[in-house]
Amino acid sequence: MAVPVNSTTPQTPTIVLPTQHTSNRTRFWRAFRRNRIALAGLVIVILISISAVFANVIAPYDPIEPHYTDRLQPPSAHFILGTDELGRDLFSRLLYGARISLVIGIIAQGVAIGIGMTVGALAGWYGGWIDDVIMRITDVFFAIPGLMFLIVWVTIFEPGPVSIFLALGLISWPGDARMMRSQVLAIKELDYVTAAKSLGASTPQILIRHVLPNAIAPMIVLASLGIAGVILSEAILSFLGLGIQIPTPSWGTMVDASRTYITTAWWYGVFPGMIIMVTVMGFNFLGDGLRDALEPTQYNK
Amino acid sequence: MSVYILRRLLQVIPTLLGILTVLFILAYMMPSDPLRAVLGEQYRRLPPEVVEGIREEMGLNKSFIERYGDYMGQILRGDLGRSYILEENVSDIIAYRFPRTLELMAGGLIVGLLIGIPAGVIAAQKQYQWADHVLMVISLIGVSVPIFWLALLAQLFLTQSKYGIALFPVAGYEDGSVIHMILPSLVLGTNLSATLARVTRSAMLEVKGQDYIVTARAKGLAERVILVRHQLRNALIPIITVIGLDIGYLLGGSVVTETIFNWPGLGRAVVPAIERRDTPVILGILIFGAFLFIIINLLTDLIYALINPLIRYN
Repeated sequence: MAVPVNSTTPQTPTIVLPTQHTSNRTRFWRAFRRNRIALAGLVIVILISISAVFANVIAPYDPIEPHYTDRLQPPSAHFILGTDELGRDLFSRLLYGARISLVIGIIAQGVAIGIGMTVGALAGWYGGWIDDVIMRITDVFFAIPGLMFLIVWVTIFEPGPVSIFLALGLISWPGDARMMRSQVLAIKELDYVTAAKSLGASTPQILIRHVLPNAIAPMIVLASLGIAGVILSEAILSFLGLGIQIPTPSWGTMVDASRTYITTAWWYGVFPGMIIMVTVMGFNFLGDGLRDALEPTQYNK
Repeated sequence: MSVYILRRLLQVIPTLLGILTVLFILAYMMPSDPLRAVLGEQYRRLPPEVVEGIREEMGLNKSFIERYGDYMGQILRGDLGRSYILEENVSDIIAYRFPRTLELMAGGLIVGLLIGIPAGVIAAQKQYQWADHVLMVISLIGVSVPIFWLALLAQLFLTQSKYGIALFPVAGYEDGSVIHMILPSLVLGTNLSATLARVTRSAMLEVKGQDYIVTARAKGLAERVILVRHQLRNALIPIITVIGLDIGYLLGGSVVTETIFNWPGLGRAVVPAIERRDTPVILGILIFGAFLFIIINLLTDLIYALINPLIRYN
């Protein structure tokens, strides 16, 4: 580290550029690895993803076929997390439920961040009345009570996976848009953007090649935290009976169904809720850790 | 200051109009004939010309633009319309039910403040020590816990003797009964207290190194006085902002909490209204919720400007 800075050898610039590039990445990984919470988050997210992808391989039982002789069995060697009121293995249903939650979480957040980044970039780049109009629209969606909007939405467009991730995307973008706008506002004043402009680059070219890559870091953080939020919202919706419909295994729906058996089968509601919490926690931990690792100034404080 | 207030008020107008428009479009797209909701079983038995007459009377035959105009005019006159099913004005329903929701939101807010702020202050005081780490991990868990599950756990272990102890009533509302409020408030306040703990911690750390803290310490003030009068007071601005933003969350969370704890507030009125396609009630409550959110945030902005003169001139 203690390299004297007074050397004026001509080859210094050519060496500094590439090493600086890799060292940014290494610095990120070092910061990320040192953060145990972030690592825990990454592990949780990977585990849940594996359960979702390989649900059909891991699950010991069929998640949908009823098995009336095994109704409401407590956890045992046969059914490690017990069974539900139709005798279906809870563990197998939770594995399949991971598919629904993850797919909805990732696609809905993809919709949100897609809308948010586009809209935010336009507002930040063009400024003026375009900015005003876009930001007022953002305010509107920010102020509408999200959960109530979702409830009304699913009564209009039948509660299915597609309508749910569209609705979740539609109410989750304002935060992403605000962040993207502030990023673009800061970046568009920087020298390399001015340079690109004076070299005759077109606006889309500058936005995609120069502004976007430099604005992406905080958006990744928001995406990770956003997935957590969306998974939670989907669970709430399903819990209210307005989300994924039976017999598809969905975590929120399972907690809802368990309420009837609250005095006889504690495991039925406890495990699905726990898995929702762990998954949401995983994405929150990951997002938090990414933020610390991607924002060196904050990290060094 | 008055210029700032005026500008801020003017900014709110397009937002409000936008919200009304989005909500109207949503309501317009609601499936199934509202007449079926109004007339119930009679719907099929009535002769078509009578049904047509009622349609005419309710203004359902008008074009989208005409209905939009009628609706905007009605709302701007302060009239939220009448429930299709209950023989009541929507504003009366809100006036009757909102105080219950407000009680619950206040309960949640109190829980959030009582747990979140001290936790954040302690974490900041013990930065990077184990107390800090433990509190921050707990708060990350607290942000992630689904409140409907928390409610279920509470009902499972705290309201019945099968798996726990019967400390609290399972659900329900009784006028002035504190014991009925405890579980719903705790459940609703959990996410908020976790968020507040995190915000308080970072706000306290932000202020910690400021010159006036060093000065206060140099002139020999007691640590406790520095902590409360200087550090916490100056850390309040971001805390207030977060509280303002989380009012919307409390309102949404009350839908879940009220449903589980059978609490007769606004949230519990929404779900059945949707099942019955009672559009005026749904719309009225959504509009009310959005307005509430905007007004609270306007107030936080004004408080903010009052505390920090820099904002007024920006």
